[in-house]
Amino acid sequence: MALNRYLGRWLAGLLGLAALMLVGITAAAAAPLNLVGQAAPDFALPAVDGDNVRLSEYLGQPVIVTFWSSRCAVCAAQLARLDRLYDTYRSSGLVVLAVSVDSDLSRAQRYARAHATHFPLLLDQAETVGRAYAIDRLPTAVLIDRSGVIRYVHDNDRSEDRSYITQIRALLDDADEAPQSALGSSGN
Amino acid sequence: MNTVHHPIRPSLRIRTSRTAALSRAAVWLLALSAPAAGAFAAGAAPAPAAPSAPVISSAPAAPLTSAGAQSATGAQSATGAAGGTRALDEQVQDLKKQTIELNRDLFILEEELLFPANTQVAVFVSVDVGDFFALDSITLKIDNREVSDYLYTPREDSALLKGGVQRLYVGNLKSGQHELVAFFNGKGPNNRYYRRAASVKFEKGVGAKYLELKITDLQHAQQPEFQIKDWE
Repeated sequence: MALNRYLGRWLAGLLGLAALMLVGITAAAAAPLNLVGQAAPDFALPAVDGDNVRLSEYLGQPVIVTFWSSRCAVCAAQLARLDRLYDTYRSSGLVVLAVSVDSDLSRAQRYARAHATHFPLLLDQAETVGRAYAIDRLPTAVLIDRSGVIRYVHDNDRSEDRSYITQIRALLDDADEAPQSALGSSGN
Repeated sequence: MNTVHHPIRPSLRIRTSRTAALSRAAVWLLALSAPAAGAFAAGAAPAPAAPSAPVISSAPAAPLTSAGAQSATGAQSATGAAGGTRALDEQVQDLKKQTIELNRDLFILEEELLFPANTQVAVFVSVDVGDFFALDSITLKIDNREVSDYLYTPREDSALLKGGVQRLYVGNLKSGQHELVAFFNGKGPNNRYYRRAASVKFEKGVGAKYLELKITDLQHAQQPEFQIKDWE
């Protein structure tokens, strides 16, 4: 009898722990999606080519911020895909910024030189931007509208080109005059 | 916190919750916007002082047939609607102007509350000529504590070169002796990486303290020069 009670408690504890872990995993998986509808955190980062880039300078234009790492096998394909889309829509005002989440600067630079794109590849050695956008998987692409509000988040590499195109067109068609900056302030 | 789309700056929403004075100002804003909301709800009725009024009263006084009367009535209503839209547009423009003024007042109020003159220290940056130095970043330390690390984009560089002055830092310091150290990073002569520091010891008194980081060119030395100017 006592053994049964002990086993029951043990099983209940185990189930509780499993439920907690499940909730934690679900919350972590949903973290980037929570950004949708919020003001995109502003940042300023150095690009591989030397110039600095500040997100808030592109207020009034749709922006895609994609996160990559030299350790991410599928990020190259993502960068190539975004480069194609950028070539198509850059004349319409689309801006693409690719932020590295590598802490190893030289490795990130080597990777960036090997995977050259037409849009700036930015180096975030301190990993502050990745934290601000709650990035927990790669590649992640964040689509920001003209007023600086995050509209879509792609946090996997399985998204089809068609879904990107539909969303980019929606952002480009959103010709409303950009209101006052919705971009989150940054210390930098 | 979810961001609701609103024409007013998001920072304004944050400010309104900070002090009672700010919340009073927000109430003022709501009071200002109330007539416009009423106008929208009432189907955009023209304001009493609508510019269309003289147009309506100047309709021809000749005898009208019933068809003519109908067309005249239609024209009058069309003119009235156009006038109403114009009046509404003016009201909206007026509201926008008032909102901007209110935002400016709130900004000043916030500055006065957060950085009172007796403790305020502000650091400004200016660039003169800039042939021998292209600014990349400035790191600012006050009393050996890093207070700012700012990266400059080409657009910001260009604005500084055109005579712009940037407020790099504003903060609070107690009265007494303090030390400011600024590290300038960028491209120096011959496009080479260049890092220089400048420091100043200053006395913070009862009034606001303004310091300017000036980047100038030393033509005879073909080098940039970094100065810190005390504007008290």
